[in-house]
Amino acid sequence: MTPLASLIESIPELWSGLLVTLRLIAVSAPAGLAVGIVVGLAHVYGGRLVRGLAIAYQLTLRGVPLIVQLFILYYGLPRIGITMTPFVAATLGFTLCSGAYHSEYVRGAVLSIPDGQMDAGRAVGMSLARTVRHVILPQVFRKALPGCSNEIVYLIKYSSLAYLVTLVDLTGRGRLIAYESFRFLETFFVVGLIYLALVTLAASLLRLIERRLRVPM
Amino acid sequence: MIWKAIPTLFAGAGISLALVTSSVAVGMLLGVPIGVAHVYAARPVRAALWLFDRIFRGFPAIVLLFLAFFGIGGLPGIKISPFAAVVIALGLRSAAYQAQIYRGALEMVERGQVDAARAIGLSMLGTIRHVLLPQAARFSLPSLSNEYSVVLKDTALAFTVGVVDLMSRAKFLAMRSRELLTVYLLVAVFYFVLTHAGIALFRLAERRVAIPGMGQRQGRRTM
Repeated sequence: MTPLASLIESIPELWSGLLVTLRLIAVSAPAGLAVGIVVGLAHVYGGRLVRGLAIAYQLTLRGVPLIVQLFILYYGLPRIGITMTPFVAATLGFTLCSGAYHSEYVRGAVLSIPDGQMDAGRAVGMSLARTVRHVILPQVFRKALPGCSNEIVYLIKYSSLAYLVTLVDLTGRGRLIAYESFRFLETFFVVGLIYLALVTLAASLLRLIERRLRVPM
Repeated sequence: MIWKAIPTLFAGAGISLALVTSSVAVGMLLGVPIGVAHVYAARPVRAALWLFDRIFRGFPAIVLLFLAFFGIGGLPGIKISPFAAVVIALGLRSAAYQAQIYRGALEMVERGQVDAARAIGLSMLGTIRHVLLPQAARFSLPSLSNEYSVVLKDTALAFTVGVVDLMSRAKFLAMRSRELLTVYLLVAVFYFVLTHAGIALFRLAERRVAIPGMGQRQGRRTM
């Protein structure tokens, strides 16, 4: 069989793995963004304790490899009676980790908004929470989006670590095919190309959203 | 039992540090010329670099590792050690990212400075060496610090191709002691210290070479 034919033949077999990868991303990308917004806001507006917790969260999750975090969740926690399915462990790990990175962009965006807007919001009688929700957040979302888009692109690539907690995702399926056929080079190249396609698609979609939401200056 | 095994974790951490320094060094060696080429090279060269960039920044790190070790290393007549496979995969990947860092840093230096340097009689090479590089190097330091922390965390995947690094020692220890939670938390502390100690060193270097009033830029990151 020619290399090209074997390339094309392996694509349908990868399909079930691709679906798992897409499910992982569909859950953890929005969840991670939500965590990032909460932690980022806590970092800026929280009291001493909340702010300390937010900083500790960011430093810890950004200072430890994702794979170690996944191993703690999936292999470590059962030691103290907390068990979860591979899918839950993977999505939880992805969510918490990417949330830590999102939160930095959110924090930067919040800090870039002039203090006067908060004062003005409070002066017209809105509560802190209302001002954040109606004045600060709509702007933060737009300003943080380019950074957060990047983060989502990283998440897509790092979702490949799910196979290390026994999920048969795109990478996991690719490994099975490679070991069966002994075609490591072709199989992993196709797997890589599929990730590249996902990443490219996601990046252009996110750029479209950025353009849609842009506020003309 | 676990506390007695800590020396083996230190040995593993040594290998992890060797992996990250070699990979970042390979990335710099290739990344600087590629970054310059992104800005100044002829169109066909830039098109080839675009392909390189797409593959090494678009494929997941683990897929690149498998491609290097099982893919290239599995070709008849080629033998690649696990350590070399990791340095090749992560080094080339880092080169693609570092090239973007240097490209950005070069583009941050105003065009007029090159014209000015040429006008007072500096050669193009002299201009690059005395005008462009000293500034671009400073612009790229914060991103390089980021690059170190990214690549360090990516080396935690080296165990999948059989390098006996920090992560691999931890896995072995976890299996033998059955204290999985303790061991993985312990290894998290190791990585935490390595990451933040490295970042602190870079910050020290940044302050050392800083020129008051010169702007800085942000870099990439990973998980």
